[in-house]
Amino acid sequence: MSAMRVDAKVVMLGKESVGKTSLVERYVHHRFLVGPYQNTIGAAFVAKPIQVGEKVITLGIWDTAGSERYEAMSRIYYRGARAAIVCYDLTDSSSFQRARFWVKELQNCEEHCKIYLCGTKNDLIEGDRSLRQIDYHDAQDFAEEIGAQHFETSSKTGNNVDELFQKVAEDYNNTAFQYMTAEETGIDLGQKKDSYFYSCCHNN
Amino acid sequence: MDGQALRPTASWENGTLAPVDRLRAERADSPTPGLVEGTEPGAGQKSAMFVHAQSFEDLTAEAEEEARRDDELDKSGECAEELKVLVGEKTIEEQRNNSISSESRSKEEDVSSEAWRSHRKHVFVLSEAGKPIYTRYGTEEALSSTMGVMMALVSFVEAEKNIIRSIHADGCKVVFLTKSPLVLVGVSRTCQSDKELLRELQYIYYQIVSLLTLTQLNHIFQHKQNYDLRRLLAGSEYLTDNLLHRLDRDPGLLLSAVTCLPLASSARDVVSSSLQAAKAKNLVFSILLAGDRLVTLVRKKDQFLHHIDLHLVFNLVGSSSSFREGEGWTPICLPKFNTAGFFHAHISYLEPASELCLILVSTDREDFFNMSDCKQRFLERLSKRSAYQALKEALKCPTYSVAQVGIPELRHFLYKSKSSGLYTSPEFPEVYHSDEEQERLMGLYQDLHSCLHHPTRPLRSFYRCSETENLLAWVTSGFELYLCFSPLGTKALAVSAVNKLLKWIRKEEDRLFILSPLTY
Repeated sequence: MSAMRVDAKVVMLGKESVGKTSLVERYVHHRFLVGPYQNTIGAAFVAKPIQVGEKVITLGIWDTAGSERYEAMSRIYYRGARAAIVCYDLTDSSSFQRARFWVKELQNCEEHCKIYLCGTKNDLIEGDRSLRQIDYHDAQDFAEEIGAQHFETSSKTGNNVDELFQKVAEDYNNTAFQYMTAEETGIDLGQKKDSYFYSCCHNN
Repeated sequence: MDGQALRPTASWENGTLAPVDRLRAERADSPTPGLVEGTEPGAGQKSAMFVHAQSFEDLTAEAEEEARRDDELDKSGECAEELKVLVGEKTIEEQRNNSISSESRSKEEDVSSEAWRSHRKHVFVLSEAGKPIYTRYGTEEALSSTMGVMMALVSFVEAEKNIIRSIHADGCKVVFLTKSPLVLVGVSRTCQSDKELLRELQYIYYQIVSLLTLTQLNHIFQHKQNYDLRRLLAGSEYLTDNLLHRLDRDPGLLLSAVTCLPLASSARDVVSSSLQAAKAKNLVFSILLAGDRLVTLVRKKDQFLHHIDLHLVFNLVGSSSSFREGEGWTPICLPKFNTAGFFHAHISYLEPASELCLILVSTDREDFFNMSDCKQRFLERLSKRSAYQALKEALKCPTYSVAQVGIPELRHFLYKSKSSGLYTSPEFPEVYHSDEEQERLMGLYQDLHSCLHHPTRPLRSFYRCSETENLLAWVTSGFELYLCFSPLGTKALAVSAVNKLLKWIRKEEDRLFILSPLTY
C-alpha cells in the first residue's frame, strides 16, 4: 500500500468542548458518541475522500485540542491549511470570543486559508431557544466581515454537517487552480519534509 | 498474631531486627543457586529495556535523602491541631466502614460532608503560593482555604530551615512532597508507609510534568507566582484521576515494572523485527501495547525508557478514547528521560476496534507524516510475515490461570524479574473477582512490598497468615516474588511452592517475557 495522498489540509479550531471532535466523528464515522466529555490530546488526523462532481478529493482533517496547553503547538496544525473550520458553541458566548481569536490568528499567519465559521450544538437550541447565546445574524455579520462562510450544525442530529464539509471540498476544488498551478498539487503523506522548527528534545 | 517472619530473626514488628548488614550476610546464599540478577527467569538476553537496577529506590532516593537529613523532625505533636482542619475529627471505629465509599468520583462532592472526609486516600496538588491545582475529590475552588492551611504548614516548617515530611495522627497519614514550584499532599487512611505514599505523589508530580515539562512549569511560576495552573491543565484531570486509580489497582506501578502480553516468542520476534525495520531518523521509541500489556518495545540504541515514563504513556493511552478517532499526534514530556522538553508521540490503534495500540515517539514535532509512514511500513511487514494473525490470536487470551502452574493451594502471585523490569501475574481467581476483593489483595501486596523495601529495615522474606489468605513475599538480587495461598496452606507448602513456581516461570519465560529486546 502506498502512502495516502491528501489534497487539502483542513484544520478544526475552537475553544475546548465546543464539539470539534464530535463534528469530525459525525462527518467521518457517521456517529455521535454519547458519554462523558473527553478532551482531545494533542491533535488527531483523519483522511477522508469526498466526491466533488466528477472528482474525488481527499481532505486531511486535523482535529486539534482546544485546551490552552496545546496552543503553542497549534501553528504546526494550521500551517499550509487550505481551510479552517473555526467552531464555537451556540450556547456559550465565551467560545465565540475564542473563535474571533482564531480568526485573527489565521488572518495574520495563513492568508490562503479559507475560513468556515461553524456554530455547533444546534440541537440544543432547537430544544430550548433560550439557550442561544450567539445570535445568528451577529455571527453572519462577522462571517461576512472576514469573508468567511457561516454554518450552524448539530453533530448529534447530523444537521448541516455534510453540507459544511461538502462546501469545504467544493471551494477547494474551485480555487485549487488559482493557487496551485505552479506547485505540485497535493501533499504526499510519505514525503520527507524539512523541519523549519527546532525540536526541543535532542536525544544526544 | 497474624504476621510472622519467615526467618526467626526477622520479627520486625517487635523492633528486634538485627543489624541489616548481618542479616544480609546470613541470607546471601540463595536457596536456588544461579538466581542472581541477570539469570533469573524472565531476564533479558541482551541489555535490558528499561532503566531498572534499583528502580524503586531510584524513585524515592531523593526523598530518602531528605528524610535522613531531617530525621529528627517530628511535627506530629504541634500539628495535630491543624490536622483536624484537614481530615476532620474521626474515630477509629468509623473508619472501618469507609473502605468501599471511595467509588463515588463525582467532582461536585460537598467538601464539608462526612462522605468527602471519609475517602481512603486524598491527593491535593497546590502551587507554592497556596493556589489549588488538583484535588482527587470535590472541587478545587471549595478547597482553597484547606490548601492554604497545607501551604502554611509547609512554610511554617521551612521557616525553621526544615522540611515537613509527614504528620501521623488520628489514624491518618498526611504526607508532603515539595517539588518546587508544586506542593503535593496525600492524606491516607490506608496502612501504606510514608514511603509508598510519597512514591504515589511522585507519580502524580511526573504526570503533571509530562503534560507541561518542568521548564514550562518553572517559567510560568517565575513570571507569575499566583498563576492558576488549572488553566493549563484543563481537561487533564481525568488523567490524574485514572493514574490514582491505577496506583490502587495496578501491580506494575507497585513493582516498578510492566507486564507483557503472553505471546509465542517466534511471533513476538517477528513483531519486534517488523517494528525495528520501520525506523526513521528521529524515532526514539516504538511501543506496541495490547490494553495494559506490552507486546514489544524497540528503542534507539543507548536510549532507555524508564518504567515511570512507560506507565505515564500507558495511562495516557488507556485513559483516553481520543486516539481511536484517527491518528493522534501529541507533545509528551517523558520526565524520567528529560524534564526539559517534549517528545512528540504518534499514537494510533492498528484497527478501529482493536486493542493493539502503536506509539511512535519522535524528537521532531514536524514528524507526523514520517511516523504515519513508519506505521504503514510496520503493518505491511507484519501482514507479509503473517504475524498479525498470531498476534490477534494471542489477544484472545491476554492472561492465564494460576491453575496452569499446578500448585493447588496457590491462588495468585506477582513475579518481577529485576534485570528486565518486567513482571508476570495470573488473572485473579474466583475469590478475588469483585473490585473490593482485588483492591484488598493489592493492599496486602502493597503491605508486603513496604516491608521488603523498608528504608532502614528491609526484609528478604516475609510470611503472613490470616483468616482469608496466607501470603509469602521473597526478594533476591534477581527477582521479587509475592505469593497468595489459600488460608488452609502451610508455611512449608508455601516455601516449597516457590521452587515449583520458579521452575514453571522458567519453562514459560519466552512466552511471558520479552527476552530479546531490539534496538534500531
